[in-house]
Amino acid sequence: MFRSLLLLITVTGVAPAAPPPIRFEDIAAQSGLHFELQNGEAGGFHQIELTLGGVAAFDYNNDGCTDIFFTNGAAIPSLRKTSPKFSNRLFRNNCNLTFTDVTAEANLAGQGYSMAVATADYDNDGWADLFVAGVKGNTLYRNLGNGRFADAPLPNSDAASKWAVSAGWFDYDNDGWLDLFVANYVVWDAATEPRCGTPQRQYYCHPNAYQGLPNQLFHNNHDGTFSDVSAASGIGRQIGKGMGVSFADFDGDGLTDIFVANDSVRGLLFHNQGHGKFKEIGLEAGVALRDDGYAIAGMGADFRDLDNDGKPDLLVSGILNDSFLLFRNLGGKNGFEDYAQRSGLLMSTRQLTGWSLGMFDFDNDGWKDLFFALAHLMQLDRYLGRESALPNRVYRNLAGQRLEDVSPTAGPSFQTAAAHRGAAFADFDNDGRMDVVVTAVNSPAKLFRNVTASSSNWLALRLRGVRSNRQGLGAKVHVHLPDGRHLYNHATTAVGYASSSEPLVRFGLGTQPAAAEIEIQWPSGRLQKLTNVAANRILDVTEDGGQP
Amino acid sequence: MKLLLIAITATLLHAAPPSPGQNSYEKANALFVAKQFDASLAAVEEALRLDPKLIPALTLQAKLAMAANRFDLANRSLERALSIDPKAPYAQFLYGMTAYMNNEMKEALTRFRRARELAPKDPRVALYLGLSTESVGTPADALALYEEAIRLERAVGHPQADTLLPGARLLLLLGRLEECETWIRQAVKLSPTLRDAHFELARLLLKKGEPAQAAAEAELALTLSAGTAPDPAIHYLLIRAWTQAGQPDRAAIHAAVIRAQER
Repeated sequence: MFRSLLLLITVTGVAPAAPPPIRFEDIAAQSGLHFELQNGEAGGFHQIELTLGGVAAFDYNNDGCTDIFFTNGAAIPSLRKTSPKFSNRLFRNNCNLTFTDVTAEANLAGQGYSMAVATADYDNDGWADLFVAGVKGNTLYRNLGNGRFADAPLPNSDAASKWAVSAGWFDYDNDGWLDLFVANYVVWDAATEPRCGTPQRQYYCHPNAYQGLPNQLFHNNHDGTFSDVSAASGIGRQIGKGMGVSFADFDGDGLTDIFVANDSVRGLLFHNQGHGKFKEIGLEAGVALRDDGYAIAGMGADFRDLDNDGKPDLLVSGILNDSFLLFRNLGGKNGFEDYAQRSGLLMSTRQLTGWSLGMFDFDNDGWKDLFFALAHLMQLDRYLGRESALPNRVYRNLAGQRLEDVSPTAGPSFQTAAAHRGAAFADFDNDGRMDVVVTAVNSPAKLFRNVTASSSNWLALRLRGVRSNRQGLGAKVHVHLPDGRHLYNHATTAVGYASSSEPLVRFGLGTQPAAAEIEIQWPSGRLQKLTNVAANRILDVTEDGGQP
Repeated sequence: MKLLLIAITATLLHAAPPSPGQNSYEKANALFVAKQFDASLAAVEEALRLDPKLIPALTLQAKLAMAANRFDLANRSLERALSIDPKAPYAQFLYGMTAYMNNEMKEALTRFRRARELAPKDPRVALYLGLSTESVGTPADALALYEEAIRLERAVGHPQADTLLPGARLLLLLGRLEECETWIRQAVKLSPTLRDAHFELARLLLKKGEPAQAAAEAELALTLSAGTAPDPAIHYLLIRAWTQAGQPDRAAIHAAVIRAQER
């Protein structure tokens, strides 16, 4: 290695330039994004106080600038938004790095104790809709296209007895209409909730003190209504303590599969077998437990190709002393292998507690990096002898082999600790660099503008399905670069923990000025090819629409 | 010889008289070993009634409280013992254990460090100080303490597999597979019927890309009762080992076992 470096210096006269550091700048305050997540805690040590904080990045008004929706808590035990401070909030992106609170006119203040949000255009009308999950109640909002949202019907799903922590949209039967998956956590009621510790030293109970719940799957009936197919599909058979949900076609069979990160019980991988049936294969695939057979406190999840081999890999955050999980997809029947240790992530995350996360190429070098929203549980301060608030972390992907913690050089505002929870990813200023919005319990939200001084090229695809669902969620994109490299990604809004990210499919191209070829495998089964696509733009691609 | 006699005589002259609670304490300790905790508690309370400053009785009282998950009571007994004799090494070690078992790592570190000052040759103290140190994220320091614990056990001729395994696990996490294998194979040699040792060896072999050997070790671990490695963890390893060894049918058997236990 050293010899190679010397040779390079001798031949070229210079050492290869170090890549510019991935850097973020928190611009929430200056951009008018004033939101503080309220968990309603009043000394009762209720479990729901720990787990809220979902946030969505989506373009509700189709102006090409990504807007932000925050979920929020409520008073306990009433679970009512008794004060404006508990309101869910929608912020319109003014396309100039400022935001305006449009919650009231959008009719999105909400009700109940909200946890999570999932965005997608479920009715294929061209306007992104919202599903808000919560404690003892979920709400589906249809985007009317005029800046307002209206409550839409959900089937009688027994939501009043459940507590949903995450949700996501995907088209499991490839019928061109998006279906809804809801990850439920545990049975909870303020009156009957277990109490842990002593009256003098009460603390939040371990999840083992609560009974788990099955997840739910709702089939889109193409007419604005849904059918609960949890039982028929096999999804409802498995009891878990669901926190994060993510989707990918991990085995390349053209059907989207589901991973659910569970808290203190094993993770679930639902293999889509077609014909509306799923089989849970987490154990066989090697993604159910940590390497030593221990069930971590799984929180956020993302299911994307991290090593550019065309096969989606799986990232899961956990709690202190768990270490985060990274599973490398070996393809076919070989399942997944533990990759956290070899990549350096295992020891590096052992002292962390992670909530939302995402795999995105923050420096556009062609390798997806990692972002983690972090905070220990609030009660841990005295046990650890240090603050439970943590700064977030970003890891640079070194050619799919190693993950390097580059947080210390990510900028001064990135080092600020808080009780971070949800995170949503989007390019809010349309400069080609992926930004992040992060919530924090009882603290202001942060908007991390990506200010990486990179000259790398990029490309984003905004898909418009015709036979596939309107947003093309589930579409798999393969980019061939002129230098022979191959990049892979897929369209999904289900990323991280309780949160929802932009639907665009992004690629960092490094020094390459164009993509030599782009293959889009639509959920309908159609394969669309584009050639010689110039970099540094958002490409609007319509299914079967030819070269844009 | 004459000097020795003088020394023995002087020692006897200065020895403390036997405690009035000694007999009750010894009875309590025997009952504790026999896991008759209620009777042991009654006897230890009698010992402390007879001699409230009897430190072994106070530490036994603390152990009984810990067995009942009453760490508040255990701490009270240990704090009393340490107020009587601040240099009581076993009381100080148990005081560290109450913090460790409550996940109060900062306090555990402080207490175990003090215990190590009092008993630098006690391998248990080095081991638990190592475990606490690893929990707060300093693996290099933890590994040094695990090595020290093993060295201390070897020095008195009693090396323990249970002392080798925490270090082996840490080495596996650090990717130091050769050193890990050395430690684990020593553990297997010391305790061939300890399931934890065979389970850790199976994990290592799987990591090294030897799935068939890993499966053989894990299958052996399943047949052993001594140890703490839970059955589902071993079955999970066997699923992956048999899958990688090209025997999915055998993997499926272990997946079915886990699923049956989940119901």
